[in-house]
Amino acid sequence: MSKIKVVHYINQFFAGIGGEEFADHKPEIRDGAVGPGMALTGAFGDKAEIIKTVVCGDSYFNENLADAKKAIIDMVRSANPDIFIAGPAFNAGRYGVACGTICEAVKQELNIPVITGMFVENPGAEMFRDKLYIIATKDSAAGMRDAVPAVAALAIKLVNKEPVGASIEEGYLPNNTRVNFFEKERGSKRAVDMLLKKMAGKPFVTEYPMPDFDRVEPNHAVKDIKSATIAIVTSGGIVPKGNPDRIESSSASKYGEYDITGVNDLTDATYETAHGGYDPVYANADADRVLPVDVMRDFEREGIIGKLHNKFYTTVGNGTSTKSSKQFATEYAQKLKNDNVQAVILTST
Amino acid sequence: MKLEVGYIQIRDIQTADKSSVKDGILYVNTKELEALALEDEHLKAVCFDVARPGESIRITPVKDVIEPRAKVEGPGDVFPGVITKLNTVGSGKTHVLQGAAVVTVGKIVGFQEGIVDMAGIGAEYTPFSATYNLVVDFTPKDGLTAHEYEAAIRKAGLKIAYALGKLGVNVTPDEVKTYEYPSIMEAIKKYPGLPRVGYVQMLQSQGLLHDTYVYGVDMKQSLTTMLSPTEIMDGAILSGNCVSACDKNTTYHHQNNPVIEDLFEEHGKTLNFCAMIITNENVYLADKERSSDWTAKLVDYLDLDGVIISQEGFGNPDTDLIMNCKKIEETDTHTVIITDEYAGRDGTSQSLADADPKADALVTAGNANQVITLPKLDRVIGTLDYTEKIAGGYAGSLEKDGSITVEIQAITGSTNELGFSRLSAR
Amino acid sequence: MDVIVTNNPLVSEKYKSRFRVDFSDTDLMGVFIHTRDLVHKGYILQTHPLTGGVKPNETFYKTVLLSEASAELDLQSLKIIEETILTAEKFTHKNLPEQYKNDMQVVDLSLISPVLEARAKQL
Repeated sequence: MSKIKVVHYINQFFAGIGGEEFADHKPEIRDGAVGPGMALTGAFGDKAEIIKTVVCGDSYFNENLADAKKAIIDMVRSANPDIFIAGPAFNAGRYGVACGTICEAVKQELNIPVITGMFVENPGAEMFRDKLYIIATKDSAAGMRDAVPAVAALAIKLVNKEPVGASIEEGYLPNNTRVNFFEKERGSKRAVDMLLKKMAGKPFVTEYPMPDFDRVEPNHAVKDIKSATIAIVTSGGIVPKGNPDRIESSSASKYGEYDITGVNDLTDATYETAHGGYDPVYANADADRVLPVDVMRDFEREGIIGKLHNKFYTTVGNGTSTKSSKQFATEYAQKLKNDNVQAVILTST
Repeated sequence: MKLEVGYIQIRDIQTADKSSVKDGILYVNTKELEALALEDEHLKAVCFDVARPGESIRITPVKDVIEPRAKVEGPGDVFPGVITKLNTVGSGKTHVLQGAAVVTVGKIVGFQEGIVDMAGIGAEYTPFSATYNLVVDFTPKDGLTAHEYEAAIRKAGLKIAYALGKLGVNVTPDEVKTYEYPSIMEAIKKYPGLPRVGYVQMLQSQGLLHDTYVYGVDMKQSLTTMLSPTEIMDGAILSGNCVSACDKNTTYHHQNNPVIEDLFEEHGKTLNFCAMIITNENVYLADKERSSDWTAKLVDYLDLDGVIISQEGFGNPDTDLIMNCKKIEETDTHTVIITDEYAGRDGTSQSLADADPKADALVTAGNANQVITLPKLDRVIGTLDYTEKIAGGYAGSLEKDGSITVEIQAITGSTNELGFSRLSAR
Repeated sequence: MDVIVTNNPLVSEKYKSRFRVDFSDTDLMGVFIHTRDLVHKGYILQTHPLTGGVKPNETFYKTVLLSEASAELDLQSLKIIEETILTAEKFTHKNLPEQYKNDMQVVDLSLISPVLEARAKQL
C-alpha cells in the first residue's frame, strides 16, 4: 500500500525563518517536512509522509486573506495530497486563525480531509471548532509531543474513511456533534466519582456542558419616555437600497450604521432587506414592517416619545455567530451611549 | 437495616421434569410455570424459550426483565404488596439467581418496544445479552383492554421470577454481600467527617405503559418519599414501564440499581450514603413543581452534602430532572445528574428538552438517536412484525436480508439513566 | 376556564361536556402550534406537552391541558412549549401504521386522564 500523501502548513516561526519581524513572509512551498513536520513524520511511520510543506507569515496571511488563500490553495492543489494538516498553532492567535481559515478553504476547494491543532482558548478554536477537526493541544509548543500522535492518528483515520470516535477518544476539541462511545466505567460509578470531586471542591469535567445561557436582566423602565431619545436596531437586515456596505445575507461579518434624519417612511424605492433567511417580499415592499420608522415618527409627532435617534444600526441575524453579534452590539451600544440615547427598540425577524 | 444478599451464579437454564438449581444450572419445568401464569384469567396461552449469551437469537418486543430472587430470612418476601404479602422488606437474607433473568414478551399495543440481541453488535448495547434468559411470551384472552393485558403480563412475569427465585432458597450462595443502612443518627456517629450523600431516584409515572409501583402503589399517586436502598434490592420498586426501551428501568435494573451498588461500594470509605429518596415524573406541571419542591425540602432537611439524581425516560422528565437539580443546588447541596441524550441522528441537535446552568455535573448514557444496523440472527423469539414500529425503527427498517436498521433507542437498556452501562457520548 | 388542545377523538368525546375542547384533526405539530398560540395569548400550560415516552414521531395523538389566565405571558409555559417544538422537530419523520391508531388514542387518553379527572374535581 502506498503511503498517504500529506501537505503540511506552518507559519514563519515554526519554519525557522523568524518571529514577528518576519510575519509578512509570503507563501512558499518546500519539499518534504519542515520543523514540526519532522515530528509528524516520526508519528506517521510508514503509513504517511509529508510531501510538501507550505510556509506563510501570519501577518501576511491575515492581512492579505484573499491573495494568501488563493496562492496556498494553488500550491496544495499542485501537490495533490490525500490530506492537509495545519499547525498545530497552540495558543498563537493569528497562527490559529490562519490554520483554521486555510483548512476550511482547502476542505471546500479541494474536497480533501483537513486537520489542525490548537489550544482551546486560541481564538481560532472558537471560530472553527464546529467546522473542522481541531486537535486539542497545550498552550505552548511544549505540547508538541502530545499533539503530534493525536494529529497523525486522526489523519490516517480520516484518509482511510474509518469512523471517527468521540472527541475525548480522538483528542479533538468538542465540536457540538455528539458521538457515542463506551467508557471504561459504567455511568453510576462515574457519577459517584464526579460527586466526590465536586463535594471536595476538586476539578471535574461534566460529560455534557449545558448550552450557553446569556440571559440579560431587563433594564429598569425608562422614567420619562416623553422626553427620551429612542433608537431602533434590527437583526432583520434592513439597509438602504443597494446594500451599500454589502452586509452578507447570512453569517454577517458586519453591521451597518445609517442616518435617517428627515426620513419618515421606508419605501421600496429607498430601503430593502439584506437578510437571506426569510421571504424578503414583504420586507422589501415596506421595510417599516421590520424597522418601524413610520410608527416611531408618529410617536415623535404625537409626543409619546421624545425623539427618534437619527441613526439606526442593522445586521443580518441569519446564522450569524453569537460571538460576532456580541462584538457588533458592544460597539454600537457604546455609540448609542455616547449619543445619549435612553432606550433602544430591538426588532428581529 | 441490614441485608445479606447471597448470589448464586447461574451458568445455564435447561428445561427438566423437576424445577431446581443444581451446580449452577437452573432447571425449569415449564408446565408448572405455565400453570402458574395461567392462574390469571386474562391470559390464554404462554410459551417459554431459553436464550443464552452468544446464541444467534433476537428477542423482541421485550416488556420487562426480572431477576429471580427470594427471601431466605427476614420479614416479608420479594415483590411485596404485589406478588407477596405487604410487609417491610430490606432486612434479613435474600438469595439471587445471578446471571439468570425472566424476559417477558408480548404485544400490548401496536407500537412496540425493546430488542435484546444475544449475539452480534446489538449484544454490546444491552446488558441482557449477558444473562441466561427464560423468555416468556404471553397471549391474552380476546377482548382484553390494554390496561388489563399490561397488568396481567406484568404480574405473571413477577410470579414466574419469584417461583424461580424460591428454587435458590436452600442453595449455598457462591458469594455473600452485606449491605448496611443504619439509621441517620447511627450513620453520623459511625462515619464522622465523611460527606453525607443521598440518592434521588426519579421514577416514571405518567400512565398506561409508563408506570412504576412502589410496594404496589402507583408512584404517580405518591409524593416524594424515602425508603432504604435494601428494600429496593428486595423488589420494593417494580417496573410497569414498557415505553422508551433504551432509557426505561426494567425491574431487573431496580433490583440491581447500580447507583445504589456504587454508593455502597464507597460507603464508609469516602462517603456516608445515608438517604434514599424516590420521586415521580408526572404529566401535570403542578405535580412536577410539587414533587421537586418536596425533593429539595427533604435534601435540605437531611442536611446532605451531595446527591446523585437519576432520570427515567424521554422528554418531559427532562423538566423534572432540571427542576430537581436546580432546587437541590439552591439548598447548597452538590448534585450530579445522570441522563441520556436525544441529539438527533447526526448528533448535532440540542440533547435535552430542558437545561439550566446549575446542572454543571452531568453523566450521560449516550445519544439514543444513534443509528445502528443489527445483523440477521438465526432465530427470533417474539415477533419482528412490529420492528418497524419500535421506537427508533422506521418504515424500511427491516431489510430484505433480515438485518434491521434502527436507532439504539429500540434496544432494551442501551442508554439506561441509572448508569447501568458504559455507553456514553461527547 | 381550562382548555384541552387535542387531536385525539377519544379525549374529545370523553371530556367535551366538562371542558372547553379545542379539537382539530391535525398532526402532533398542529397540536403544539395551537398550544403555542394559546400560550402567546396568556394561557398557562398545565401539562407538559411531551407526555409519555412515545416519541413525537411514533404517535398520531397528543393532548395538552392549559388554563386561561391574565393577559400576561407565562414565561415558563412559553419555554416549555418552545422546547417541545424544538424536540419534536429533531425526530425523523416516520410513516406510522394506521392500524394502531386506536392503541395510540388509548395511550394518549391514559396519560392525560389522571390530570383531567383531578382538574374536573377542582373546578
